[in-house]
Amino acid sequence: MKYVPLVWAAVRRNPTESLLALLTQTVAFALFGAMVALNSAYEKAIDDARMDRLFVVCRFECQGLPLAYEEQLARLDAVVGVGAQVWLGGREQDERHQILVMFVDSGMRAAWPELPMTQVDWRALDRMPDGVFLTRKAAARRSVRVGGVLPMTTLPGSRADGTSAWYFKVLGIIDDPPGWGQWTPDLIVGNLRYFQEAGRPDERNTANVLRVAVDRPDHAREVCRTIEARFTNANPAVYCIPARQDAEQLADANINMRQISLGIGAAGLFMILFLSANGVAESVRERLPEFGMLKTLGYRDTLVAALVFLEAAVPTVLAALLGSALARVVSTLAARLAVKGVIDMPEMHGSLSAFALALGAALFIALVSTVAPLQRIRRMDVAAVLAGR
Amino acid sequence: MSLLRQIAAVCVLGLSSLPERRSTALVIVFGLACVVGVLTSMLSLTVGLTRAYVRPEDEARAIVFARNAMGEWSHSIERGSIGTILDAPGIAKRPGGAPLADAEFLLHLPPIEGFVDGSLELRGLGSTGRALRPAFRIVSGRMFRPGTQELLAGAGAAKQFGLVVGSKVRLRNGEWPVVGVFTCGGEIMESHLVGDADTIMSATRRKGFGSVVAQLVNADAYPTFEAWLTSNPAIAVSVERKSDYDRRLLGSNSAFFTRMAYLIGMIMALGALFGVVKIMYAAVRARTREIGTLRAVGFGAASVAASVLAEAALLGILGALIGTALAWLIFDGRQMWVWGSFRLHVSLHLLALGVAWALVTSVLGGLFPALRAARLPTSEALRAA
Repeated sequence: MKYVPLVWAAVRRNPTESLLALLTQTVAFALFGAMVALNSAYEKAIDDARMDRLFVVCRFECQGLPLAYEEQLARLDAVVGVGAQVWLGGREQDERHQILVMFVDSGMRAAWPELPMTQVDWRALDRMPDGVFLTRKAAARRSVRVGGVLPMTTLPGSRADGTSAWYFKVLGIIDDPPGWGQWTPDLIVGNLRYFQEAGRPDERNTANVLRVAVDRPDHAREVCRTIEARFTNANPAVYCIPARQDAEQLADANINMRQISLGIGAAGLFMILFLSANGVAESVRERLPEFGMLKTLGYRDTLVAALVFLEAAVPTVLAALLGSALARVVSTLAARLAVKGVIDMPEMHGSLSAFALALGAALFIALVSTVAPLQRIRRMDVAAVLAGR
Repeated sequence: MSLLRQIAAVCVLGLSSLPERRSTALVIVFGLACVVGVLTSMLSLTVGLTRAYVRPEDEARAIVFARNAMGEWSHSIERGSIGTILDAPGIAKRPGGAPLADAEFLLHLPPIEGFVDGSLELRGLGSTGRALRPAFRIVSGRMFRPGTQELLAGAGAAKQFGLVVGSKVRLRNGEWPVVGVFTCGGEIMESHLVGDADTIMSATRRKGFGSVVAQLVNADAYPTFEAWLTSNPAIAVSVERKSDYDRRLLGSNSAFFTRMAYLIGMIMALGALFGVVKIMYAAVRARTREIGTLRAVGFGAASVAASVLAEAALLGILGALIGTALAWLIFDGRQMWVWGSFRLHVSLHLLALGVAWALVTSVLGGLFPALRAARLPTSEALRAA
């Protein structure tokens, strides 16, 4: 503790410049924290996608999978649930805002138990076929309330009566389901029975996707192979993929935000490193007589090194703390860019590991920043420095 | 001495002392190189995508698709309507007098193991499809034969999906061999598989085409062409200038990434801005005696301030050049697959943007230190020695 005043005096030697350096490092750590959060959010989203949940879609372009396939799939070994879903896309009142409703049948209770709907919710959906449930995010973006009406305009002719306006009663708000893959952040769940009745006659008794739940993750690939083989000669033939594999491919096949976020985070750290190293080098250069005096007073090299390291570490660690707190703001801003569903982004949360990573990076930068200045201190001629030469 | 000459003289003097302050100067240079490098690298993706989607020649092309459809995926232009569409005024003619327009369609292919559903698309070309695309070249194998179940793979699709001449692609009625690989001047079509439209339509049991792509005599012919088709009661089609259609397709895909690049660029620039202020304050402190001497021999405060700004600007430009050069070296020409195959492109426009970005950051950062330098009392500055 007795060395604290020495370190503090060194940090406060030039308050304006110290503050500016701290601000730079804080901003860079905020960006770093946001990028780490973004990266881990993608990783978590993939982790949340389960191997024991399968997607079955048309192998070739088709008008839809017959709902009769559900029964055949349900009879397969290891299958514990089969559900059907149909996407219907349209526009909200504002033409720029696209909206997507996912109609599901009751088989989803077993095929997709992660969908956070209670038995009461399912019953409500059954009683009120034109009702919908919105996830919290979807509801917040549209400022809709339970009991309200959610209008949607689709292409002409999407309804059996030839019209294009759909009005859904908002039955409730549900939690956002875990995982990320074949659904958008704006999950709106409707009743498939209603779509079959109100939608185009030629789309009746078909689904876009059949979801299959299997008993164990290690059965997933085998069941997929069985499903594909069973329907090879059927019309339409099917393609089956485990949800986790689908999420992994989706994350890597398009813009690989996982890699990009790491690259940006690394660039931010480089900026901090340059600034910190320069700050410490400058400080040591200007205070060589002071270090000469300390050595004359009997301070060992290790103690002087510790003092210089602490002088470098105080601002970087402080910046890491502040930056990690600010990262939440950056994450929110980044997430807002994807609001209209152009590219889905998983939700970002600050985590202890991200915070620990920032702290570790701060200490590492402080350490690297002090290497060259410490060499200078070790090699200095104390007598010459004290004599002002 | 005029003010301009004074400014020039002080700037030269200030810059000549830069080597003595090279470590601090390098912090600005590398800091801004990081900012500009990240910005241009991210934007090279949208520039590359735009180059692949929106071709200069598309200004004089039009695309016709079914009314109420969003694009060429609806496959509902009936064969009987094609003749009427080709009669529209404004379509350029081939040497034999036939209209330079092609009925085509685009269709999602079954997933190939290891890739997401729908990421590979098959384009059916009619007899004029190749003539419409002068950049079309077969780089290996041969052209598909009309009427046969053969496919060509675009160079981008071939690379992404590991397709070579002899590969087989499974369609509804069996496996179709890839008989050639083509390039098309970097156009997004290089991400597609291509085959004979009639044969594919028959194999996939499609009755209608997705679109008719027409080469117009010139860009000005479009309004007449559009009006004729949309007012024709015999057909129900929508018409769009091909370049507008391409931009519409691209817009939603690239908007997110462009916004993300600018957001990150701004955050990094904010961090760099504080850094530049700090470094330039230090630079003014290091030059205190020099500044005092200059003021004592009659140089004005404005010229001293201008020299600080010029130094910041120069370092900023240097940083931008290094950042853009690094982005160019690492990313330019690199093939990527984002909704299709394209090459990242660090363009001159991005270089200019990077320089402007760094210039604004560094000049803003140098502003307060420049004011401090201008306001330094001469006697105090001389005593700093």
